[in-house]
Amino acid sequence: MLTSILIYIFFLASAPLFIGVVNKLKSRLTGRTGPSLFQPYYDLRRLLRKETIYATSASIISRIAPVIGFVSLLFAGMILPIGFYKPLISFDGDIILFAYLFGLARFFQILGAMDIGSSFEGMGAAREATFAVFAEPIYFFTLGSLAFIFGCTSMYEIFHSISLNNPAFLVFISVASISVFFLMITETSRMPVDDPNTHLELTMIHEVMILDNSGLDLFLYQYTSYLKILIYATFTSNFFNPFNVQNHYLGFSIYIMIIFILIVNLVWIETMMGRFKLKSIPQYLLFAASIGILNILVYSFFNK
Amino acid sequence: MENVLNILFCLTLLYLGTTTRIMAYLNVFVTQGILLFVILILPLFNKFSAYTFILPVMILAVKAVLIPIFIKRKIMLELEVRKSIESDFQQFNFLLLCVFTMITVFVSANMLAKYTLIDSIPFAAAFSTIIIGLYIIIFRKKLIVHVIGFLVMENGIFLLGVSIASEMPFLIELISLLDIFVAVFLMGIAINKISSTFAVDDITGLDELKD
Amino acid sequence: MNILYLLSGLPLASGALFFTFNNLKVKYRLSIFTAGTHLIITYLLFAGFIAPPQNAWFNFDSLTKLFLMILSNVFFWVTANSYKYIKHSPIEKIEKSRQIFYNMTNLYLFANTLALISNHLGLYWVALESTTLCVAPLIYFYRDKESLEAMWKYLFLVSVGLAFAFIGILFLTLSAHGTEFMDNALYITVLVSGASKLNLIWLKAGFIFIFVGLSAKIGIAPIHPGEVDAVSNSPSPVAALISASLGGTALMGVLRILQILSWTSLLQFAQILLIIGGTVSLAVALIFMFRVTNYKRMIAYSSVEHMGIVLIGFGIGGIALTGALLHLIFNSLNKTAFFFMAGNIHRNYKSREIGRIYSLLNNLRWTGILFLISFLAVIAMPPFGLFFSELMLLQGLIANNQFVLMTFIIILLLFIFIGMSRNVFRMLYRTTDKSTRTFNEHFEFSHLSAIVLLCILAGLGIFIPEPLAKIISDVTRLFVHGI
Repeated sequence: MLTSILIYIFFLASAPLFIGVVNKLKSRLTGRTGPSLFQPYYDLRRLLRKETIYATSASIISRIAPVIGFVSLLFAGMILPIGFYKPLISFDGDIILFAYLFGLARFFQILGAMDIGSSFEGMGAAREATFAVFAEPIYFFTLGSLAFIFGCTSMYEIFHSISLNNPAFLVFISVASISVFFLMITETSRMPVDDPNTHLELTMIHEVMILDNSGLDLFLYQYTSYLKILIYATFTSNFFNPFNVQNHYLGFSIYIMIIFILIVNLVWIETMMGRFKLKSIPQYLLFAASIGILNILVYSFFNK
Repeated sequence: MENVLNILFCLTLLYLGTTTRIMAYLNVFVTQGILLFVILILPLFNKFSAYTFILPVMILAVKAVLIPIFIKRKIMLELEVRKSIESDFQQFNFLLLCVFTMITVFVSANMLAKYTLIDSIPFAAAFSTIIIGLYIIIFRKKLIVHVIGFLVMENGIFLLGVSIASEMPFLIELISLLDIFVAVFLMGIAINKISSTFAVDDITGLDELKD
Repeated sequence: MNILYLLSGLPLASGALFFTFNNLKVKYRLSIFTAGTHLIITYLLFAGFIAPPQNAWFNFDSLTKLFLMILSNVFFWVTANSYKYIKHSPIEKIEKSRQIFYNMTNLYLFANTLALISNHLGLYWVALESTTLCVAPLIYFYRDKESLEAMWKYLFLVSVGLAFAFIGILFLTLSAHGTEFMDNALYITVLVSGASKLNLIWLKAGFIFIFVGLSAKIGIAPIHPGEVDAVSNSPSPVAALISASLGGTALMGVLRILQILSWTSLLQFAQILLIIGGTVSLAVALIFMFRVTNYKRMIAYSSVEHMGIVLIGFGIGGIALTGALLHLIFNSLNKTAFFFMAGNIHRNYKSREIGRIYSLLNNLRWTGILFLISFLAVIAMPPFGLFFSELMLLQGLIANNQFVLMTFIIILLLFIFIGMSRNVFRMLYRTTDKSTRTFNEHFEFSHLSAIVLLCILAGLGIFIPEPLAKIISDVTRLFVHGI
């Protein structure tokens, strides 16, 4: 129990570091020196010192939305298994809780964005809501097929009852991780779904929703987004855990390694690809969902 | 292991439903050829005789090398084919249709597997390849894509033959492979002529012969 | 064994040989020699004078002999007449097409013979696909826009159809799983003898796929456009070959499956499918006969109609089966003569439109008369054989108490007659003021062959010689037996 709490605190503390590494690598890859590895920490500290200003047309929603988002993601992080350590919250059916904690955070972010009354945020909120519709099935089909095969519905149980003696499972899992990678890219608004660097109206989905927030609110939103990407990266890395190994320390170092490989992947994709046309993003997401559907079809019949 | 290859096959089909580039269609076809080669080689690991290796090697040679080279050279380079824009059918709906088809095929294959003796996954993978090849022929406008859809359908038929484990003599498979190659050859020549005669390389010009 | 070599090897050898030189006249003479030899051997087989070779891969039963005779006959007459059509065709820029014409025709004969005599379904499929590949360049003979489109449609539609037929063949193999002849499951004789042990689900699925797939090649609805377009845009010899012989070869595949099915309880189902397919073809032929503006297309739709009648005959069974077989023979004879005359008209009037043809009886005396007689034969006027075969079909319908269907078919045939005669009589009798060219017609070899063919047609209608009667009763016995 104590180790789980320690690991969780480490997890929370290293969320900005993840983004720091991603930004640094991206700049290196494009020939720049780039910001320091700890730049997100400095940004967060700067934001804490600023004053929080609310628009005159804002209501109570604008005050509570960032907090709700932050807290839901904190809880979602507690459900996630990191390496081999048992997560803080683990019960049957927590995969659904995980999905809907994210849903709650997203819902309040959208509400908060629309609350301000500017059309910019409304546009971002609309796009966010649309893509969320297509992104939900990915999660449910992928994790649902896993739950179906292994017969348990707790995330920790699922990822720890996979045994890799059947090579078919190996392929299945690597293929499922592609879906989840797509999901990660969509939910955290990286390329090719959204460009985190430009702040042009054409390309904004997430950054536009927080345009009018400042100070503590912006701190909470930024930290939430860092946490979100780390949570998704950890979730993806769970697909690759060598499940036969039971040593905790080995599991943890493998976790770090896989996270790093994911960072490299992410950076490579961000640098190499341009952004998709907005109208082809649903199709991109449907492709990821259909991989999940295919897995369900195959393995549900295969395991009878 | 065979099931894994069949699932990879289905994944390539899903990719066919998503992409819009013609070169991607060709690459998917090459990948399917390589997958077929591996599927054929797998049961032969114990018995290494030169005779049984002929068919897989021929398949690899024709499907993964000869036909793509022919299509690339003869058609892509000679015509001014816009390699990226492909058709104006709703891409999203096409992928949705493909997914529904796969669901239907897998479910019915499973029901069939209860009554007759077939393996459900290879059969379903092969049958969905055939149907998606047919969809490509029906729903696309460019002629080269029609040809590639036909080739994908033939891939599916071949996979069906392999999965049913019928004792189709190698000679027949070989000659049918040759037949398909010659058919594609003829189609390629026809496409070139059509492009130069009608000045457009999709089927919008081919509607004069009707009553 | 040497019969086999002569029958199939000779066309293959001459087809391959023709690629080495270019002299049209020499090619023509060699082709006639090949066709003649083929005809003689086939006739000897047909009449029972020589015994067929025994080989697991090849099957020489009565069905094969009948179809071989049809093919050989049509091919001989087509080759004998082809020189005129190829040498002096209306469009001049087709030198290359001329060079490959005889090559492709001989290769076509080889592939078609192989398909007819094969006992192995895989070999049959391969040979059938090869006939498509041989015929496609022939369709493109005139090298213009329409023939290009026709060739593409034919090649593509038929290839996709044959792919479906291949799926059906695979299902047939699947139906033999678990039986003791699993390893030999593609040999037709093996399938026929073991038909009672086959799995019915897969047999049904196989039949459906093969029927739908081969219907693209036979040229019946709903996949008839491939064949109709191909026939209406190619030179007359090629058109005669496609509509008279190629449809028969594809039909033989369906008949073999029917033969297998006749030993099982699925025969009813198959017959219903055949009747539906035939009736829909008749209806389609009717609809388009009124809209057609191209006389070769009109003849092509008449082919669709007759193939539909043949299918209905096979669907009804009994005496209608005999009628259907006779109908196949008569149809091939008739279409060949019809297409020769159509080719003559095209050569002289330089157009395929019905609207441009006028006063056929006055201008081209012989062609006009023979065209008229062929038309009368095609609509089943006695004493031509088609009348008697259609009569047998109607007799079969009555014997099965299918009065509604019979009335429907009679009405369809009546209206097809009306539509077709409208066009034909317009061509024959219409006069126009702006006739700017003069025609002079001599009595040519094509007229002679048409006369011979029509006389055979009339003769066979009245009196069926002994070998033919024996073969037909043998074939009937293949399909009708106690289950």
